[in-house]
Amino acid sequence: MKLFDCPVIGKRPISEFDYCGEVRRPPLDADETAWADFVFNRNGAPQVLREWWYHRPTGRWYIMERDTLKDEVQRFIDPQEVRYDIPA
Amino acid sequence: MTSRLDPQPLEWLDRNETYRFTFEGQAYTGFRGDSVTSALLACGQTLLGRSFKYHRPRGALTLANHDVNALMQSADATNIRADVTPLQAGLDLRACNVNGTLVNDRDRFIERLSAFLPVGFYYKTFHKPKRFFPFWERKIREKAGLGSIDTRWTARRQAKSYGFCDLLVIGAGASGMQAALTAADAGLDVVLVDENPRIGGSLDYQLANDADAAPVRERLKTGVEGHANIRVLPSHYAAGWYTDHYVPLSGPTGIIKMRAGAVISATGVMEQPSVFRFNDLPGVMMASGAQRLIARHAIRPGKRAVVLSANGEGYRAALDLLQAGIDVAAVVDLEQGAERGHWASQLAAARIPVIEGHAIYEAQGKGRLERVIVAPFDGHRCNPATAREIPCDLLLMSVGWAPASQLLYQAGARLAYDDTLQQLLPQQLPAGIFACGRLNGAFSLEQRLADGQRAAKDACAHLRGESLQPDLAACRDTRAHSHPWPIIEHPRGKNFIDFDEDLQLKDLVNAAKEGFDNIELIKRFSTIGMGPSQGKHSNMNGIRVLASVIGRSIDETGSTTARPMFHPVPVSDLAGRRFRPERLSALHDRHLGLGAQMMEAGAWLRPEYYGMPDQREPSILREVQAVRTALGLIDVSTLGKIEVMGPDAAKLLDGSYTMRMSTIRTGMTRYALMVDDSGVIVDDGIVGRVAEDRFYVTATTSHSEATYRTLSRHIVEWGLDVRLVNRTGVLAAMNLAGPHARQLLAPLTDIDLAEDAFPYLGMREGQLCGIPVRLIRVGFVGELGYEIHLPVDAAATLWDRLMSAGAEFGIRPFGVEAQRVLRLEKGHIIVGQDTDGLTNPFEAAMAWAVPLKSKPYFVGRPSLALLKARCSRKLIGFRLPKGYSGERPKECHLIIENGEMAGRITSIAYSPSLGQLIGLAMVDLPLAEASLSLSVCVDSGDLIQIEPCALPFYDAEGKRQTADLTEVA
Amino acid sequence: MPWRLLKYGLKKTHDEPRFFPAAKPLKSGYDVVIIGGGGHGMACAYYLAKEHGITNVAVLEQGYIGGGNTGRNTTIVRSNYLTPEGVRFYDTSLKLFEDLSDDFDLNIFYSTRGHFTLAHTDSALRTMRWRAEVNKRHGIDSEVVDREFIAREVPYMDLDCAGHSAVQGALYHAPGAVARHDAVAWGYARGAYNRGVEIHQKTRVTEIRTQGDQVVGVQTDRGFISCNRVISMVAGSTPRITEMVGLRTPIEIFPLQACVSEPVKPFMDTIVVSGSLHVYVSQSSRGEMVMGASVDPSVLHSTRSSFDFVEGLTDKMLDLFPFMSRMKVMRQWAGMSDITPDFAPIMGKTPIKGFYLDGGWGTWGFKATPVSGKTMAWTIAHDKTHELIEPFRLSRFADFDLVGEKGAASVGH
Ligand SMILES: Cc1cc2nc3c(=O)[nH]c(=O)nc-3n(C[C@H](O)[C@H](O)[C@H](O)COP(=O)(O)OP(=O)(O)OC[C@H]3O[C@@H](n4cnc5c(N)ncnc54)[C@H](O)[C@@H]3O)c2cc1C
Repeated sequence: MKLFDCPVIGKRPISEFDYCGEVRRPPLDADETAWADFVFNRNGAPQVLREWWYHRPTGRWYIMERDTLKDEVQRFIDPQEVRYDIPA
Repeated sequence: MTSRLDPQPLEWLDRNETYRFTFEGQAYTGFRGDSVTSALLACGQTLLGRSFKYHRPRGALTLANHDVNALMQSADATNIRADVTPLQAGLDLRACNVNGTLVNDRDRFIERLSAFLPVGFYYKTFHKPKRFFPFWERKIREKAGLGSIDTRWTARRQAKSYGFCDLLVIGAGASGMQAALTAADAGLDVVLVDENPRIGGSLDYQLANDADAAPVRERLKTGVEGHANIRVLPSHYAAGWYTDHYVPLSGPTGIIKMRAGAVISATGVMEQPSVFRFNDLPGVMMASGAQRLIARHAIRPGKRAVVLSANGEGYRAALDLLQAGIDVAAVVDLEQGAERGHWASQLAAARIPVIEGHAIYEAQGKGRLERVIVAPFDGHRCNPATAREIPCDLLLMSVGWAPASQLLYQAGARLAYDDTLQQLLPQQLPAGIFACGRLNGAFSLEQRLADGQRAAKDACAHLRGESLQPDLAACRDTRAHSHPWPIIEHPRGKNFIDFDEDLQLKDLVNAAKEGFDNIELIKRFSTIGMGPSQGKHSNMNGIRVLASVIGRSIDETGSTTARPMFHPVPVSDLAGRRFRPERLSALHDRHLGLGAQMMEAGAWLRPEYYGMPDQREPSILREVQAVRTALGLIDVSTLGKIEVMGPDAAKLLDGSYTMRMSTIRTGMTRYALMVDDSGVIVDDGIVGRVAEDRFYVTATTSHSEATYRTLSRHIVEWGLDVRLVNRTGVLAAMNLAGPHARQLLAPLTDIDLAEDAFPYLGMREGQLCGIPVRLIRVGFVGELGYEIHLPVDAAATLWDRLMSAGAEFGIRPFGVEAQRVLRLEKGHIIVGQDTDGLTNPFEAAMAWAVPLKSKPYFVGRPSLALLKARCSRKLIGFRLPKGYSGERPKECHLIIENGEMAGRITSIAYSPSLGQLIGLAMVDLPLAEASLSLSVCVDSGDLIQIEPCALPFYDAEGKRQTADLTEVA
Repeated sequence: MPWRLLKYGLKKTHDEPRFFPAAKPLKSGYDVVIIGGGGHGMACAYYLAKEHGITNVAVLEQGYIGGGNTGRNTTIVRSNYLTPEGVRFYDTSLKLFEDLSDDFDLNIFYSTRGHFTLAHTDSALRTMRWRAEVNKRHGIDSEVVDREFIAREVPYMDLDCAGHSAVQGALYHAPGAVARHDAVAWGYARGAYNRGVEIHQKTRVTEIRTQGDQVVGVQTDRGFISCNRVISMVAGSTPRITEMVGLRTPIEIFPLQACVSEPVKPFMDTIVVSGSLHVYVSQSSRGEMVMGASVDPSVLHSTRSSFDFVEGLTDKMLDLFPFMSRMKVMRQWAGMSDITPDFAPIMGKTPIKGFYLDGGWGTWGFKATPVSGKTMAWTIAHDKTHELIEPFRLSRFADFDLVGEKGAASVGH
């Protein structure tokens, strides 16, 4: 079983995590086509993706850059890097 | 007749303990330490099973957990592998896959049909005419399978455990033990595992009588057994290799899920048969199989033997036979003039004839081996013209090896064929995986030890984080131990290449000629390697045959993917202990005491209704009526309950829910609807404001975890200063609803319940019966109602107080079913029942909950802005006439318009308050807006008319939940 | 004994014709290139040749025929879907399946077994009724059955599930069937080959060349092929191919695993699926229990096996079939499933002229093999999306007009 070597909690098996897909930023001023593209389309080919992983036992989110072909985590991302503002 | 030898130096037997058992109704005895096979052989029983397809007689072959033609069954187990199953007292065994008895198997006749059943025959027949196929299929199914199961067997579950180590060494032969020692000396925490009950590997059978091996054995065994850094695990096999060196070890007391830092595969080699006519007769076996029998179980596998050899190991086996008092008629060497080492010289000294450059052309005998036909062999072909006959009852095959490389392949290793050794050898190993010993081409004892040391050093370096360029070839032999073509054609066939599947040489040749000339295609078409041994003694010869037919090298031909399991693993052990987490509310005992019928709601158990099952409908009606006319109390502890705290709390909730939450006044609540990016409804609940920077959020039972997760993700991605606390498990909640609610509560609480002090949708904190509570005025069921949130440990106390104080008002507990009716009367949806995986709020008739104008953003808003104009269906209310007594529509019955589907009923129930059937239906536009009566197709196929009507059905102005209803009631 | 077998016995030589061509050089161009030699690719080639007379066709397969998901699936064929468009489509396929052995003169072991989808909760039971109602509307044999019915048909199943999540009822679909997956691919391949289609194994497409928005050819590891009609039928590799033409789709790849037990004498004739327990099982004609579960929880382009899968599967399986604890799991494997958000495929023409797409088959595409081949062949021949697959067009996502199979797809195979 896959292990993730997390910066805070150390090595944990993948079964403790919920996978929540690629980290994406909604294009807030998108036209209809671009918005539908955001909602439905995905970067499905093998590549390094930034992904959301939720560690259930500790209730913590991790953002990892993972190679979806080799199943290798290349690095953990500081959440600051993915943050965006939403209109209030 | 007994074939038991005098005690052997390394035997596993405890001769003081005799076990009685039966096989095919006959009584036998054996010793503790016997396998079923060895005990039967000791008693002279050489026929152990029948083959899968032709029901040919079969005997012992490898004694290495590969003897799938000697499968047995007992009253409580099937497909028992006799070759490795330890004998136990009282076993009562029968052969698998026989029709009648093992001796008189009525399906023996199938062999005579073999000419009519060429490879893949079943693809080419039985399908015409089509209507007969079910008949043929039944016939085929009758013959399929091996052992039988008894569907009355009860569930067996074997608990699993976890293990951790720096280095897992798989295989405790010479190289594995040496590797473990070297690594342990270097300070690693090592686990050494072996599938046999005793460590030693081939040292203990192939080299059992070899004088040079004795001191090495002594050093290694005492070394590993006494080493503080080594845990030795006999009787366990590595079932498979999984990502990040996760290797389940399957043993008699269950599976140990081992997580290793690195793995050394020292799994050795599997002896391969020679392919010649009748190579499957009982009495023909692998040389290593005979050596196992002799050394471990003190069995004399025959009286007069011939050894077929293409390596020094065959000569060693012949020496072992001599030592066991078996007459060796001859050694037949496939090659002429090959150098076979010191064992050959020893054998020569014993004056055993060696017939070089010959092969076994055919074995003969009735039901077991009686003689072999030996003929000159040029490395490719036999010339039967000058064949000679040698009477014998035992033929050992020592013609070559295939690496036990399954785990390496699973880990992603690449193997390449080595023309010097005529064996597949590891060429590239993934990080953290190492290989040594015969698997890696190290054959002499010195080579094996050196290779074990090398692998251990490589593993240590890897674990220290050093990058390495391992020299896999450092200790490899320079001489072949396998023959490149131990395969002898015969015009009359029955030269088996796969004993599991009864495949003959011509089957593979023909399959390849029919276009299945790719290693994977030939496997699938011919089924080679698909049997229970998974090709352990057929794949290598299969590759050789295919390579020869297509004129390619072994590497170009390739090999099939090796998948877990290494040996089949019992389902009982894989399943492990049964664990079904079940969440019980703090009021569970109260519900049971009140006669509740419980139902599952996600992981929770909830009261469905209170009453006997035969009183279901009346009970639910009574509960509904109690809420409408008096008082009801429902346990809603399963709701998700989340505290949201911090300066950005309002911003988080504004972004996460459709409606604006930042404008909620402190002490008030608002309905909360959550949609996903595509605008689909995923959850609902309420949001209450406790303070400027503090909210209390509820979520539906089944979605509460997901809602918590979603909110916490938004905190991260929007960079908010908010803390979430999931209080679902620590807070209980109950909803007190009904016209007398206030009357009941007022004397028990310090909270001012007056309408203007605590209005509808208000939220207050205070004491109730001396318990700290949070009260929320909710309207889900449409009556004056207070949702009471409180610590779980006080829940039962409060429940009891409310129930007893409420007695004078006619209070009743109500369950999920009554709540469903009550909310339906109010036209409230249940997410997941009235909505499906694609329903948006406009379709759910909740446009009021989507403030597109006043809110610039919330998750899903852009989608909803698009969807607003494009809805194609809508949720409507409907009813049936009062007194309707026809067939009752059900949830998910379809609305039919002009013969076409135009929607479905999502909820329907009898409303005691209205005295008629009411419901919700998702109906196609514009039909939904036409307000015309609709037809529903019910179970009988009849169309029933339903009348659309406005929502809610009950108390349209919502007076009952807002006003002071003391007088009304 | 069928006469066919006598023939083999009475002849000294085995002079059966080849199923597939021996390897030979690629031509410089074809009228149609089909990427992917799975069931879908072979079926498309077959119907192009047979029904539209288009035979200057090359099927390019990076591995071997049927080596993708076609050769890894658990072969359940059924038509009891939830949406009208799904039901029509899969029912057409099921009917084609029934005649396939005849059509091929090759026995694909199409075996009608009856298919139970168990409901363990009242909400699951509601979904079953929804499906049954939609199915019946379309003339599909599909009904909600109660515990008594199930107990009669599958007497050895523990309907109480060892005391947790008892079975409350089921959707029963009598036409539910299994078939030999390989034989389906081989039958189509042989039929296509005999009609002049070229099949090239060990030939991988590495690039698709376009001029403007028109496809002009494909680059392979064996050279360039010019061609202005290219169809991608590569299931788990779909995103790699669509990326070559810059097409964005919702498809994501999740591993889907399965396993078989050691063979035992056949005792189980039906197919049993439990959505709540996320497991399903049938018994093959070799006697193996063929078992599967839902897709793995995270994206991965790999066919590695995982131990959690067998652990979870066997644990749940024992709730239904306690006696299976005494059996053994022999082999496990995985495929890569191409999952869409609405559990429906993506088929038809695309914005790139001459580039056709057949993907998004997820866990359910084996049963669609015949109908996909047929409708895609028609679509290519007419350069017009066949009406049966119109609802599955790629543009439905841009239009927010999804197919609602999600509700029925629990463990949908
Ligand atoms: C474990 C499992 C169980 C399943 N169970 C069922 C079931 O019970 N019922 C059901 O209906 N469906 C089931 N499915 C789904 C079904 O198997 C697939 O949807 C279906 O087989 C897809 O067929 P295909 O021909 O489109 O794809 P595949 O058979 O995958 O064929 C695609 C081919 O394309 C080739 N290819 C890929 N890229 C390239 C390239 N660049 N160049 C050349 N060739 C390329 C691949 O090598 C592959 O052979 C299951 C799937 C799995 C994995």
